[in-house]
Amino acid sequence: MALESLDRSPPPFFRVGFAPLTKLIFFSALSLLLVFGDKQLQFTKPLRAGLSTLILPMQWLVLQPGEALSAMGTYFQNLEQAQTNLKAAELKVLQQSVRSQQVEQLQIENQNLRQLMGLQSSMAVTSQTAEVLFDVPDPYNQRIVIDRGQLKNVALGSPVIDAGGVVGQVTRVYPLTSEVTLLTDKDQSIPVLNSRTGARNITSGDVLAGQPMIELKFVPASADVKEGDLLTTSGIDGVYPAGLKVARISHIERRVDISFARIHASPLAELKGRHVLVLQPSAASALNKGKAP
Amino acid sequence: MIMSRREALLLPVSPWFIALSLLMSLLLSMLLGLSQALWLPDILAVSIFFWGIHQPRRVGMATAFILGLWMDVQHSALLGQHALSYVVLSYFAFSMHRRLLWFPIKEQMLQILPFFILAEVIGLLIRLSTGDDFPGWAMLLSPFIETMLWPVANFILLAPQRRASDPDANRPI
Repeated sequence: MALESLDRSPPPFFRVGFAPLTKLIFFSALSLLLVFGDKQLQFTKPLRAGLSTLILPMQWLVLQPGEALSAMGTYFQNLEQAQTNLKAAELKVLQQSVRSQQVEQLQIENQNLRQLMGLQSSMAVTSQTAEVLFDVPDPYNQRIVIDRGQLKNVALGSPVIDAGGVVGQVTRVYPLTSEVTLLTDKDQSIPVLNSRTGARNITSGDVLAGQPMIELKFVPASADVKEGDLLTTSGIDGVYPAGLKVARISHIERRVDISFARIHASPLAELKGRHVLVLQPSAASALNKGKAP
Repeated sequence: MIMSRREALLLPVSPWFIALSLLMSLLLSMLLGLSQALWLPDILAVSIFFWGIHQPRRVGMATAFILGLWMDVQHSALLGQHALSYVVLSYFAFSMHRRLLWFPIKEQMLQILPFFILAEVIGLLIRLSTGDDFPGWAMLLSPFIETMLWPVANFILLAPQRRASDPDANRPI
């Protein structure tokens, strides 16, 4: 047998390095420090941003099989369906055109009225479209990754919407991508306005019977809330522009033993769509407006 | 390297093959992660444990730590969550690498299952302690699937070392 066929180098006898237990303690301590730093102190931000840029080519590579499959699916989608889709889209545009033409006139009217009453005029919102790359794999929270980042001036905290309504908020910005926390995430809150009664509330994400939903917090059991009420953003937080659709109330549970009602609403945004719109936070655009001469 | 009695004499491992296999399992883990199913196995954990058993001098806790950080960033998890579970996994692989290969493969699987469960529970505990909700019981299925992958890993990752060094038409191996 040739000599190359055997593992010839014996284990080093004198130079053995650190003991395994020492290494375990060192790396465990380092990991726990990172966990704590990531959760509480935020000092790991540059590390995470750097690493995320580094793994971007691999992420791109991993996304390719799915992209190819969906491209093939679209290719083989038959013509008839494409035509039906087109017709539906045209009909929708037609229906919306009436309203959108009214909007111009209403905006001018609103501006004039506000000037008459001496109120601060509401501002136009700047926005950019972004493509959803993938859902974040972490099972503990609900986030998506979009293909716009710091280089395209995505600001931390920007609201994100799609055709249906509010999707969520940008919670991490990397140089080339950003992470959007969906409004159904446990830690995500949006101040909303009940468009029927004008009552203001705060939502937070919740899971009801396996479905991601949002919950209205701190609503007294006696409050005037009905199923089917439309919730829109109230705009008093300085982040979300007022009047964006958020959700429709779907379950109300009033119990005698607690003074708050348990109210769940189903989000109106698609949440699984392909494209989203990233808005400039309204307080930030107000600041920019103030700075401009 | 200490070899099992039942295993044929193996060729020396190529460091490039180790690196390639870790890279491929990283890619596979990233791909599986996209589906967000809780029960899917962590292929990278299996690879790290496998090389920790077979090549403890080449793949150790430092490698496990770096790959864990990579997974943390990819999963958008807390930094250090996967790193800690991979490091612990790698430590136990080192501590049992002289013993494990003397057993037949089924008994090996029985012995490594607790460590995959431990790695899963470490990640879970970190998230629960930082205020996240329990994601679902399906996640406890993944250590079992990872253990099921052990013979597959044995087959694939040792394949280059099972080749004959000078192929011969008259000899089976």
